[in-house]
Amino acid sequence: MSQSARRITLDQWDQRYAELRAAGLSEPSYGGPLRRHVHDGDLRLLKLRTDDSAAALRLWNFLLSEEDRLHQARANGKKIVGTMKDLGTVPVMAYSLDNTIAFYPDGAWWLPCVMENQTRLLEIADSLGIDESFCPVRAMLGAFVSQSHFPIPDMLTCSVGATCDDVAAIAQRLAHLGFPILWWEVPHRRRPDPGEESIELPGGFRAPASQVAFVRSELDRVREAMETCAGQRLTDERLSAGIAQANRVRRLLDELRGLAYTARPCPLPGLEMLIAEMLAIHFCSDQDEAIHVLDELLAEVKRRTSAGIGVLASDAVRVFWVNPVADLRVMNLLEDVGGRVCGSEYLFCHALDLIPEELPPMEALARMALADPMVGSPVDRAERICRDARRFGAEAVVISRIPGASHCALEGAVIGDLVRTRLGMPAVEIEVPPITDSIEPALRTRLEALLETVIDGRRTT
Amino acid sequence: MKTIAYSSPFVPAEWIAAHGMSPSWLQPRPAAGRPLVGASRGVCPYAGALVDAVLSGVEAAGAVMTTACDQMRYAAAIMEHRGQLPVFLMNVPSTWETAAARGLYRDELRRLGRFLVRLGGKEPSPEELAEVMLEGWLGQSERSEHAPVRRVGQAQRSPTKTGRIMVGGTALRLSHPTTPPPPQQKLVPLALVGGPLVEKDSDLFEMVERAGGCVVLDATEGGERTLPAPFDPERARSDPLDELVNAYFGAIPDVFRRPNGRLYEWLGERIAARGVRGILFRRYLWCDLWHAELPRLRQWSPVPVLDFDAVGEEDGATSRTVGRLEAFLEMLR
Amino acid sequence: MICAGVDVGSRMLKVVLVDAESLAVVASGVVDEGIDQDALATQLVERLAVQAGLRRDDVHAVVATGYGRKLIGMADATITEVTCQAWGIRHRVPEARTIIDIGGQDSKLVRLKPDGAVADFVMNDRCAAGTGRFLEVLATRLGVKLTCLGSLVAQSRKPATISNMCVVFAETEIIGLLASGTLPEDIVAGVQASVATRVAAMAGRHLTEPIIFTGGVALVPGMEAAVHSALDRPVLVAPQPQMTCALGAAILAAERLRGSRTPAC
Repeated sequence: MSQSARRITLDQWDQRYAELRAAGLSEPSYGGPLRRHVHDGDLRLLKLRTDDSAAALRLWNFLLSEEDRLHQARANGKKIVGTMKDLGTVPVMAYSLDNTIAFYPDGAWWLPCVMENQTRLLEIADSLGIDESFCPVRAMLGAFVSQSHFPIPDMLTCSVGATCDDVAAIAQRLAHLGFPILWWEVPHRRRPDPGEESIELPGGFRAPASQVAFVRSELDRVREAMETCAGQRLTDERLSAGIAQANRVRRLLDELRGLAYTARPCPLPGLEMLIAEMLAIHFCSDQDEAIHVLDELLAEVKRRTSAGIGVLASDAVRVFWVNPVADLRVMNLLEDVGGRVCGSEYLFCHALDLIPEELPPMEALARMALADPMVGSPVDRAERICRDARRFGAEAVVISRIPGASHCALEGAVIGDLVRTRLGMPAVEIEVPPITDSIEPALRTRLEALLETVIDGRRTT
Repeated sequence: MKTIAYSSPFVPAEWIAAHGMSPSWLQPRPAAGRPLVGASRGVCPYAGALVDAVLSGVEAAGAVMTTACDQMRYAAAIMEHRGQLPVFLMNVPSTWETAAARGLYRDELRRLGRFLVRLGGKEPSPEELAEVMLEGWLGQSERSEHAPVRRVGQAQRSPTKTGRIMVGGTALRLSHPTTPPPPQQKLVPLALVGGPLVEKDSDLFEMVERAGGCVVLDATEGGERTLPAPFDPERARSDPLDELVNAYFGAIPDVFRRPNGRLYEWLGERIAARGVRGILFRRYLWCDLWHAELPRLRQWSPVPVLDFDAVGEEDGATSRTVGRLEAFLEMLR
Repeated sequence: MICAGVDVGSRMLKVVLVDAESLAVVASGVVDEGIDQDALATQLVERLAVQAGLRRDDVHAVVATGYGRKLIGMADATITEVTCQAWGIRHRVPEARTIIDIGGQDSKLVRLKPDGAVADFVMNDRCAAGTGRFLEVLATRLGVKLTCLGSLVAQSRKPATISNMCVVFAETEIIGLLASGTLPEDIVAGVQASVATRVAAMAGRHLTEPIIFTGGVALVPGMEAAVHSALDRPVLVAPQPQMTCALGAAILAAERLRGSRTPAC
């Protein structure tokens, strides 16, 4: 085991991989050197610095082999359910069946970054009238049309209502192009009126009982459709088992976040944490393997933490990060200028909360779906961000705008207001497109300015 | 009588009126001076103008917004977060084919009713509601067969001194034009399709005429497209709230509905019936829902489509709009 | 009899004189735009007439086009650039079915019916990023002339990716790329690709060939290849691309003189 931890380049990984192999590295079937992904077109790896652990290697190989896994699942006769704009609800249902897997088409939004636009997915979206005034999730449209990445799912669901206009618009376009979609509604979560029966949701929000009942009825429709697709009954028993399995992932992530975000020095870079958190949504199309990957990552973090090993300087500025980045390189950039991610709200923090196992499963899933901070007021989301930022000991907040994403235009004003007034800490907004190479100096300046403000503040306290 | 400002055709004016309050269609124009929110990158100009208008002060007891799109949802949140005016965010479901969605809309009407009562309104009896629906809420029962196809609200526009609220709801119930007046000779009949318009957009109709066209189908929000269906008198008397749901939620085609094919059915019938020769597609920069429909509309449309993307009331818009209109009409003639 | 077409563009004012019967070009000329477009147009028409051995009185009909068309007092009619381009290109390339016109401040895509009439058009007159303006900004930043961009782009091996929609922010990107050591030729290639991509986005998926590339930007070396690459289709640069709009206006003037119906406002 290494007594140090570093973020290393792909070139350095060539040697590191040899070292790990020599030391007896045991890998799953999708394992291998990272460089092979570059040969497959994942060019962004050439510009990223990644954690040098075997656990991180497994995480990256797991992420970058998802397409292979999906094609293999199709070849093995599994049903694939594409769950659009679904941050952790319908996938739990899909994985409760033994011949079905879930797939998150929205995840294609990273393809233009990872493949550095070689896929031309964004150009395809442009040609279909979905241009850069939309969120980079439009790459999903390109991927469906080109059919050169993932197999077309057997069933497609899309949550609409108080979810995301970009995805709703793109999904409607897909439907028009001949991809049938099961639309299910998520109402705008509101605070209960005085005297109205209300329910506490996972994560702490409260919602009217009538809204939970509504979502439950919507998920019942999804269940019926899934049963028809899979040719299996999705019984409460199966669902309960599926929820328990999903909670294993969530518990692992909870523990991982708790350690990685609070330990000093920082035991795992923000980039690997971002990818790890994403597994909570859709498990990268293999729930069991996602658990193994997180187990290994957690073990590595525990080892480093107890040995006092970190990848960054001990005095790295603690930054709470809001919204995922379209260009993974930006997570490196924060650390390059002296910061560290100490907490996160990547649009799906509710998918990190445990699904109640003591409730009837559909009721539990309905409450979980309604607990999504994005379906309520941005004030609710901002309050949760403030709570978590305080909990994780953040010194600053970065609000990362996704260019074209409909929620980003106005939410920054609300989140920034609350962060500054309630936490009294500096916050900066940056916009991160899929490739940031040409604007890196501008991003760097903003991040550096933020960290300098914090460091200056440390001197005076 | 207290005024309630509202900005969505899915908010029944009759419901507000039946509670003893005056419904007032809020057609914004940017506040004087620096916009508070409106000019930010990524902000729909219409939503931004609404926020600016409400935060600058409107003469109303409350405002009703809807969840028809993210921009409006977030706009309502900012109004509540930063403003003083009571704001009600009405959840209008995107799905419409299920009983559950219909039930949600009906429940939201009731919830809106409770909001109105808190502001001083009075819950109507079913008979009172039916009367307002069938007799018109300003006591007018005439229906004109040949009502002008102009902007809803234009006919009775009476701005307050701030110019931000138009008391124009009457026109909503004035007419269901089935046979619009024939266009003047040589004017090319056109359809105007899109979302909501800001106050200055009323100039658009004159611009079209000067360029040689005539809007014979106003399919914008607040125009003919978003008129509720005529109330069935029998149903209105037996269950007026349900009939409101039928006429509004059940009948109005819109781009945010999932699926939204009914919008095209509605357009197709009227384009054919009125001899429309071109579509003027009016959308806002950063409006994802309408923008995403443009290529589908072009592919579907039996007539040419002209796209206008706007950021609201900027000075340069007029010459750009005129240039496009002229080119379009040249093409059609 | 002679007819004149006056194209009042954002950078240049162009005039074409044609014989009303044969539609042969008798004279053509370009001047830089100024404050008094009407006077500039009048002077240019007179100068061209004299050069061709004619008098101003020999010009019997004038059609003005371009963004400043309504300022031209001598115009008998004003017709938009969309229509004039279609007529001008049709005259030069009768089989044309798609026109891509990239000017200094706007860009257009015009689809033509088999008979040459305009079937449909899309305009970008809001965003400078898909126009010649972006190339001007680039050339200024690199300290070169527009005409030199072609030789630079020919040396590019790895075009830079320009991410911003807005040319103002994109200028910042160019500065950033230069500061980070990106080669000028790669920046040129990236900007040209960005302009072409924006135009291709207007085009959508269905384009009918032949595709004719016109407008002042068609003269910029490297842009033909960039547009070809973005569309993934062959593209022909119109003969004298800067003048096709004025030519179309002149032809329309001749049509009007003959008493034919033209789409004038």
